[in-house]
Amino acid sequence: MKQIIHFFILAVFSISLASCVGDDIVNDRVAEELKITNAIDTIGFESTYLFESRYLDNVGQRQEINVEWSSSNEDVISITNDGWAEGVGSGSAIITAEYQGIDDYLIDEIEVVVGANTTEVEVENITKEGTIMASSFYVLEGAFTVQEVDGDLLVEIAEDYKASTALPGLYVYLSNNPNSIGGAHEIAAVSTFNGAHTYTIPNVGIDDYKYLLYFCKPFNVKVGDGAF
Amino acid sequence: MKKSIIYIAAILFLSTSVFAGGPWPQPKGVGYFKLSEWWTSFDQHFTDEGLLDPNSTTGIYNTAFYGEYGISNRVTLIANANLFSRNVINNQVSGTNGSIIIPGDSYNGLGDIDLGIKYGLTAPGSKYPVAITATFGLPTGATNEGALGNLATGDGEFNQMIQLDAGTGFKLGGLNAYASAYGGFNHRTNGFSEEIRFGAELGIGLLDSKLWLATKLNVVESLQNGDTAETTTSTSIFANNTEYSSFALEANYYVTKRVGVSANVAGAFTGAIIAAAPSYSVGIFYDMGK
Repeated sequence: MKQIIHFFILAVFSISLASCVGDDIVNDRVAEELKITNAIDTIGFESTYLFESRYLDNVGQRQEINVEWSSSNEDVISITNDGWAEGVGSGSAIITAEYQGIDDYLIDEIEVVVGANTTEVEVENITKEGTIMASSFYVLEGAFTVQEVDGDLLVEIAEDYKASTALPGLYVYLSNNPNSIGGAHEIAAVSTFNGAHTYTIPNVGIDDYKYLLYFCKPFNVKVGDGAF
Repeated sequence: MKKSIIYIAAILFLSTSVFAGGPWPQPKGVGYFKLSEWWTSFDQHFTDEGLLDPNSTTGIYNTAFYGEYGISNRVTLIANANLFSRNVINNQVSGTNGSIIIPGDSYNGLGDIDLGIKYGLTAPGSKYPVAITATFGLPTGATNEGALGNLATGDGEFNQMIQLDAGTGFKLGGLNAYASAYGGFNHRTNGFSEEIRFGAELGIGLLDSKLWLATKLNVVESLQNGDTAETTTSTSIFANNTEYSSFALEANYYVTKRVGVSANVAGAFTGAIIAAAPSYSVGIFYDMGK
């Protein structure tokens, strides 16, 4: 009888040892990205302008970095390490932002002309399009558009949208990584499973995120995504 | 509507008790008692279409008591209680930089308790016994636990199940053997779909009936009449309309005349909204009927 009890205790103990929280590895590598976020067409002669940039690391998360700024012609436009540029001569120059990333050497550049006044690049009311596609065997599909309206992001899901009602805890996010909600912006729990509907996300720009990501929150499973 | 995939997995396989139950009520004053450790860990599940999808590695570990006791030759009281239940969900770790994207979690607590009463419709000793069992599932376990509310030790609903069992004992190549089958209806509350349940079991005694090997088939069909993520008022993190067909193998060995050890492996081979991984259990039992 003692042997039986010992056997049972040993079995329970062994099982308990195996019941610790472990790690699941998520394949979340994406290409790094460096972008000048406040491009201008023209910089005023003897005017200054502060260029800004955004860096997304190799998991799509924004990181603050020290970008290396340079001008292709310092006699036309000079620029400091902080990104302060000044129009000092007539003509044009290429303004370059550079950064040695984790995986890649990143470069973004724009051409700027020196003129009478500083002029930002004219951005029309851009509407980006995308298609939601399932990455799982749950039904999830539909077209969508994204546009910036009065500083908010408007995500309009089209009439052809369908999502499975069987999966519990489905949430929708904005993300820069199609495989991870790390650094993502949670929009809402999904409450519409068929047809057109709209999400308005305050204080989010159209270039801040690249993917609409559907994620089963309780079981930490990606259900689908749509790039835009 | 509060029932997680992991908890459903527990229900599925804990119900696999091949060495007691069936259409044979315990004789008056006789009981069968079992203490077991049951566990499963899964990183994929059956979708609503019956296909396999991945999920965070999730484990559930239950220490359970099962008991039957005859208060007359035809009436047996039954208890099936998860005395201690542990749920674990893994960290989600970036394969790129090693950071934790979503922290894992665990929860320990009391699980649900099923209480039942079995009545022998045929006279004790009948060649083809038939019994009816009413089971009441008490929601004593916890739901919505953990930081994300995705851990549970119970389903949070009071269900009532009526089940009819029939079977027979026979000789198979000179060995003692038995076969039984059951069908049941599970009425569930709190937005859960009702279920039709049926199954069959075959067992054979070896080593002068000291070792019993058994196999069991369990099938659950949902009536799909409960809440879904679309109709529930909450943004439910739990699943409904679970279905499965599972297969179990069990060995019970009498170490002494009345005391024995058991081991069981079970798993769903088809299913919907349920874990897709085998479960295991080991236990010790005391059989007063020997």
